[in-house]
Formats: sequence, C-alpha cells, structure tokens
Amino acid sequence: MPTGHLRPPGNRPTARCHARPACDTVGRVIEVDQLTKRYGGVMAVNGLTFTVRPGHVTGFLGPNGAGKSTTMRMILGLNRPTSGSATIDGRPFARHRAGLRHAGALLDAGDVHGGRSATAHLSALARGNGLPRRRVSEVLEEVGLEGVARRRVGGFSLGMRQRLGIAAALLGDAPVLLFDEPVNGLDPEGVRWVRGLFRRLAGEGRTVLVSSHLMSEMEHTADRLIVIGRGELIADETVAEFAARGTGAGVTVRTPDPAELAAVLTPAGGHIRQDDGGALTVTGLSAARIGELAYERRILLYELAPRAASLEQAFMELTADRAEHRSAVPGGDPR
Amino acid sequence: MTSARFRDLLAAEWIKLWSLRSTRWLFGLGVLAIIAFAVQNSLDARNGWPDFTPMERTRFNSLNEVFSGLSATMLMIGAGTVGALTIVGEYATGLIRTTLTAVPARHRVVAAKLTVVGTVMLATGALISAATFGVSQAILSGCGVAVSLSDPAVWRVLAANALLAPVSGLVGMGIGALLRHTAAAVVTVCAVLVIVPTFLQPTVYQWLNDLYALVPFYVWRTCLGLPQLRDDPALPTVAGSWAVFALWPLAAAVLTLLVVRRRDV
Repeated sequence: MPTGHLRPPGNRPTARCHARPACDTVGRVIEVDQLTKRYGGVMAVNGLTFTVRPGHVTGFLGPNGAGKSTTMRMILGLNRPTSGSATIDGRPFARHRAGLRHAGALLDAGDVHGGRSATAHLSALARGNGLPRRRVSEVLEEVGLEGVARRRVGGFSLGMRQRLGIAAALLGDAPVLLFDEPVNGLDPEGVRWVRGLFRRLAGEGRTVLVSSHLMSEMEHTADRLIVIGRGELIADETVAEFAARGTGAGVTVRTPDPAELAAVLTPAGGHIRQDDGGALTVTGLSAARIGELAYERRILLYELAPRAASLEQAFMELTADRAEHRSAVPGGDPR
Repeated sequence: MTSARFRDLLAAEWIKLWSLRSTRWLFGLGVLAIIAFAVQNSLDARNGWPDFTPMERTRFNSLNEVFSGLSATMLMIGAGTVGALTIVGEYATGLIRTTLTAVPARHRVVAAKLTVVGTVMLATGALISAATFGVSQAILSGCGVAVSLSDPAVWRVLAANALLAPVSGLVGMGIGALLRHTAAAVVTVCAVLVIVPTFLQPTVYQWLNDLYALVPFYVWRTCLGLPQLRDDPALPTVAGSWAVFALWPLAAAVLTLLVVRRRDV
C-alpha cells in the first residue's frame, strides 16, 4: 500500500453533513448478486448482478416493466427475492434498525396517507428513526414544501408528492439514496432542481441510484448507467461508453466526392455510412483525423461535424436487440 | 450512533394514529355517543321509577341500563374499525412501503403499532366504562338503586366493559393485516365481532354452546357483562370468558406479526 490512509474518491467530508453520524461511513455501496424474482410464471428480475458505487449518480434504466421497481424493492427488503441477494453496505437492508440513516428512498410518490399533513408524515418517519425534529423542517425547506407543510397530502399535486417523497428520502441524511422515477410530475423548474440535487448528493460522496424509463432524462443527470431489459442486465458502464454503443455517434461529413473520401478513410480505420440527405457518417475516426486525411489528398469538405451520440438511440437499439434475442429462443419467452 | 429505540417507534405510531382526522372524530364522537346513551337510559329509568312494578324494581340493575348491548355493539365496531384502519391505511395507500423502508425491522414496527393501538383502546375503554358508570350512579342515586363498588361482580362488569375496546381493536388489526382492503376489512370486522355473534343463543346442544363460548361478544353478553350470573351449564363460565378475552387479541397480534413479516409489500 503506497499510502497509509486510503479513502474512496467520493468519500470526503463536506460542510453539509458534518457531525452527523451517518456521514462518517459515507462510501457505502449497493450490491446486487444474481438477484431473481419470479411472479408465477413470469421472471420479473432474472439473475441481475451489479454494484452501485458512491460518488456518482447512477441511472437505472429500462423500458416499462423491465424490473426496475421490483429490483429497488428487493434492495430495500420490501420484496423477498426468489433467489440471489441484495445488500447495502454488505448487509441485507432489512437487518438495519434505523433504515433512514442507511438508505433514503423514494419508491412511489403515492406511498403516503392522504389524510396526514406533510409535517405529520415526516415527523412520524423521523421519530421512528430517532432523528431530531428539526430535520423535518430542514428537509421540507430543502424541497420547497415549507409553505404547505400543514396541508393534507391528499390535496397535493403529483409534483408536490414527489417533493415530499424526496424529503422523506433525505430525512436520515443517508449515504445511500434510491429514487424510482422521481421526475414524473415535476415541472421544468422542478426537473432542473432535482437534477442539481442528485448531482450535489453524489458530489457529497453518496451513492445515488435513480431509475427512469426516459433515456433523455438520464443524459443530463447520470454519470453511470445500469440498463436492464426484461429483468436482465444489458449494460453497466459510464454514460459515454453506453452512448458509444449506439450508431448515433460519429462525424458528419459532406463532400462533393464521397467515393474518393471513402477510399481514403476506410484503410485508415473509418466506417462510412451514407445518410439520407447525402451526408456521410464516419465512425472510428476523429473529426480532426478525417480533416487531416482529406487535406492530404486535397479532397474538398463542405462540412465536418462531430456528432454526440444519442443515448436514446443507443438505448432503443440495445433494448430492441434484447427483445429480438429473447423471442428468437423457442419457448424462452415467459409471457 | 444512537439507533432507533422501541420508544421512538411507539412515538412514531402515536403520531400516525392521532394525525388522522378520522381517528380523532371516531374516538371523540364514539365516546360521547356511548356516554350520551348511558345518560339517556339512566334518565329514562329515573323518570319511570315511580311507575315500575315491584317485580321490575327487583330485576332492575343499573349496570345493565348504562352500558347496554347497543353500546357494546357501537364500541366494538368503532374500536375494531379503527384497529383495522391502522393496518389497512398503510397497505391501501402504499404508506407501508415508506414505513418499512424507514424501519426495515417489520416485527418492531408491528409490535409498536399493536402496543400503541392496544393501549389507546384500553384507555378509551376504561374511560367509557368509568364514565358511563359514574354518570348513571349520579343520576340514579336518588332512586336508591345505585350499585355498590364493594360488590366484586360490579368490578367484573366494569372491567369487561373496559376490555371490549382493546379486544376489538386488536382483532380489527389482525383482520386488517389479513385482508389489506378497506371495505372488506370493515365489513369483516363488523361481521366477526358483532353481527354473527348477535344471532348466537344458548341451545340444547352442548357442543354448540361450547363453540359459542369462544366468541367475545357472546361471552360478554351472556357472562362477563351481567351483574348477576345464572348457574347454567349452557352459559360460558367466567374463567373461560376471561380466557376468550385474552386469547382473541393475542391470536390477532401473532397473526398480524406473521402476516406483515411474510408478505411482500
């Protein structure tokens, strides 16, 4: 060991949570190992294995019905896995006494009793975890609900309920946070706020897992992605790596002489595709390299534009691939 | 690190119980209604006393008047419904997922809920039992029919009246945990606690009598709630009746614990 004092990169004490016990142990991970859940004949989650690490916002993606919520519920000990295990900080979550201090979660904004006020709802949760009363007003202020704290939750809009759910997740100042489709029902200002919140929580060294079926949402929020389809793992990598899998990435090139350019670029390792509008999409070479090669051969270029990969496209391609693969297996389709 | 103590869980359940408007209304109106019944029945008896026949005067017992079968029915349905709603309210709304994420040790959550509901019901039952007895004593004192607290039978009746609420409340929780559906739970609570037992009458078949002697409302009606017991083998015994009053809530509590622990939410 080169140094005597090693700390995970995200594990830095911050001003926000000094002197709170849970923060001493920031750096906890969520580990899912061969997790499987079967409902009757349907495999909701099938042999899922992944690790969610601190210091990042990890997007948990999949089409509707992919098994995201079921997985999150199993991580939190609400649903019992058919086989496999899920742990938070090396222990099944159900073994923790004060859950809010280990993990905060927003699973469904509707998981409240409409007859209680926001304050009463949060007060009961805080009290059950031995948290001080001031945490209630702190988190209400944080999510912007202090003005309606005494109103019954039954009268809240979906966006307000999402904020209340986020407030509950933040109560215990937990090092691990799970949010299931938190953006639903939020207005544009709320969406921007919640993105900033997730980034800040990850920046504080927490483990943040956010599920969504909207890839475009994750593009702006997540650093890493765990993508599942039909209960199985499709990808577990950084957003950039994932995007690179899609065919959307590449360099758009316009030239009056496509054939000659292709003859130059292909031996250099480029893959060329003709687009509908007459432009070429080149993958495998950087825009700078394409420019150099064209210059050397004096090929005229009208346009040379690197194009960022679209996550959406990568996502669609991968999940479509998965679906085809699944239905190609005789009798392999559980439905 | 201070972990959540059981006391904190009790406090949390206390907050949850009283922060619902429905609980406060049900408790408030229920207690007032039952006391009002006692007042009305006692006033009726006092006003009618001069016209009572000697037979009627001998058979009159103020304990029967102040806390009638109707009061017991109201109390049991009210307490059973509140008990059921404390559980169903969590499942039907989805709150249970929030609750169990905050406190993953399910048996501790359920134990706290059972303790809080049971204790509140016991206190409410004791209040109703004492208040109905007190107002009737005050109203009927002029007639010379006031009962004496030196009579152990009076204490038995008062205790049985007080226990109807916690017994019903915990049975309601068990039914709520089993069914997890508001309407179904409330209907079942009414049926099991009151409606079916109302039709039970002593019969010539002893096995049927023995079966009836296992039902709380029946043993209250035919044994524990009566100031003067008849020595009749067809009727439940006092000891057996107390056992029924103990076993039903105990069984309901165990059922609630097991069911909540086992099921996915």
